[in-house]
Amino acid sequence: MPFFRVIRWVAWKDLVSEIRSRETISSMFFFALIVILVFSFSFSMDQEAARELIAGIIWVAFAFTGIIGLGKSFAAELQNDCLEHLQISPAPKGAVYLGKLAANLLFMLVVEVILFPMFVIFFNLDVVEELPLLLLIFALATLGLSTVGTLFSAMTVHIRAREVMLPILLLPLAVPVMIAAVEATRGALNGLPLSLYGNWLQLLAVFDVVFTVLSFWAFEWIIDS
Amino acid sequence: MISAMIKWMQRYEGWVGGGAAACLIVGLYLGLVASPPDYYQGEVVRIMYVHVPLAQTAMLAYSVLFGGSLWYLWKRDPVVDNMCHAAAGLSAFFTAGALITGSIWAKPTWNTWWTWDARLVSFAVMFLILAGYLMLRTFVDDPEREARYAAVLAIIGFADLPIVHFSVEWWRTLHQPLSISMRGVSMSGEILRPLIIMGIGFSAIFAYMLMVRTQMLYLRRLLIAKKGRLLSQAHLSTAGSGSPSGT
Amino acid sequence: MIAIRGLALGKSHGHYRVFQDLSFEVAAGECYALFGPNGAGKTTLLRVLATLYRPSNGRFEIMGHDGVAEKDVVRAALLLLAHGSYLYDELDAEENLRFALALRGLAPTDRQIKLVLDRTAIGAFADLKVRFYSAGMKKRLAIAKAMLIRPQVLLMDEPYTSLDEAGMRLMNQYIRDIVKEGAAVLMTTHDRLRSAEVAQRVGVLDKGRLSHITVDELASHAVF
Repeated sequence: MPFFRVIRWVAWKDLVSEIRSRETISSMFFFALIVILVFSFSFSMDQEAARELIAGIIWVAFAFTGIIGLGKSFAAELQNDCLEHLQISPAPKGAVYLGKLAANLLFMLVVEVILFPMFVIFFNLDVVEELPLLLLIFALATLGLSTVGTLFSAMTVHIRAREVMLPILLLPLAVPVMIAAVEATRGALNGLPLSLYGNWLQLLAVFDVVFTVLSFWAFEWIIDS
Repeated sequence: MISAMIKWMQRYEGWVGGGAAACLIVGLYLGLVASPPDYYQGEVVRIMYVHVPLAQTAMLAYSVLFGGSLWYLWKRDPVVDNMCHAAAGLSAFFTAGALITGSIWAKPTWNTWWTWDARLVSFAVMFLILAGYLMLRTFVDDPEREARYAAVLAIIGFADLPIVHFSVEWWRTLHQPLSISMRGVSMSGEILRPLIIMGIGFSAIFAYMLMVRTQMLYLRRLLIAKKGRLLSQAHLSTAGSGSPSGT
Repeated sequence: MIAIRGLALGKSHGHYRVFQDLSFEVAAGECYALFGPNGAGKTTLLRVLATLYRPSNGRFEIMGHDGVAEKDVVRAALLLLAHGSYLYDELDAEENLRFALALRGLAPTDRQIKLVLDRTAIGAFADLKVRFYSAGMKKRLAIAKAMLIRPQVLLMDEPYTSLDEAGMRLMNQYIRDIVKEGAAVLMTTHDRLRSAEVAQRVGVLDKGRLSHITVDELASHAVF
């Protein structure tokens, strides 16, 4: 089916380009590390305070790091006018969007998976039993950020003040994702029973579905004339 | 060739403006002077007569923006785009007003400038979305693309606001067990009447300002078009095609 | 074929008029060379035909399909070789070709890829990432891509730039081949000698107006 082939090829192209240049993931990773360091200097935390604040710090780091990756997603298409090529190609634009989304999602998840152990080490967290749940939360929330983020990356790539417009547009819209991610992560890290914070996961799932569909529809308007 | 919608606006703006002024005068009198002070909150409650209509009108303005954005994507009428631009600016203005009056109301009533009330936070997010919308419009160079992108942003933002409201409401029940809520006023006829009149008045003011501002943006676009046409006349000569072989 | 009627392009909601009331046709099996001074709108015309811009007036048809209403069909039928090479720097020649074809729903075999890479004499550069390619090499790779796609309508924006002697001969041979197979080719160019070898019809776009000259006139003296 050409639709799914396009998705696979677009995602493959982004992944391979990144593996060979290592440009995006390394900048994301080091940026996140700096954020973690700055936060650990800003709050002098005992065990008690750490458990309350750490979820928020994690998601601030993930969100801003993710924005770097999302921005580069379409900036990479500016080389050799490739964005124009995507525009005039007969490939279904929705498939291009899904391919980009898949690649962005993967990059963000990889960075998060590498970073999380750093958080565990720096802030002395106790996480082993809750790991699968945490990964689920990461996946759902990251998808939420990536759906609209990929769309806005395409929207802002052409315009002036590109790097600053992406966070300005994305973050207000992502408020539900951030709230839900922080609450769910805090619940999981504190070992609370799932029934207490399961509703946040549901919220994330709803957000993901609604905005994947919306962004999928809207992408055509953005990338086409 | 002036657009039909613009002509319609020119015809009725006077009526709308006049009606708005009348409603506001009556409403302000009834609310600020004639109505009774609240049992618990005292005179301060009068700010509600401004705050609530501001909030309602802000939401009305965004709904107009949402509908207009869908309309633009469907019909691609540049005048509709002008109207969307105008509606967004006005919505931001009313939202800011709602936030400021909300804050002024909160301070004497609950001794805090800001409460994490779901509605206030949703309005704050709405303001940020609208600010982003206006910034986006400034930064895009091509007018056609600007209109398209803005329409998409408005639609996505509109879909997001209910979800924002929900998430903040849930969050609030977890972290703020005190029942601080903007709904702390008992409704009686004497309070409801001026509230409704003010609501109509503010909506009418919005409609009036929308008409005026849309026409302004429309005229600006015509001006730019005229300038473009004059420039291209230099490029496209009207006296023959300048054929190379001298035919 | 390409059929253009009364085409006008204003940039941005119809303001600055790049050209207005343009009408001409390029038949199947025909190569049309378009000349004109810089800034005349030749590149813009190609971009409109490639469905990158919407015309503000008039219509055009590619293979009988309307360029605005049936964009997707048109995009499948035509290929634009523009100034931007549409190549990804981190990918090598074969990967770029496969990607470009996958976007069109095509999947070439290894043999086909090797064949076109040989014919365009990419040779030793085939295993290198495109980031190391010269402009001329990128052009050759674009020809290889066109050979695999076999479009019915080919739009080319200044095809001879950056190519060496052998490359220009390769380009003309490719044009002759596909014209014989029935493709319609529209190229913008400043190279009178090279285009005279392959063009059947010649036009000059100047100040928004199109005029026609013969191929002999093209070869013998300056066109504008």
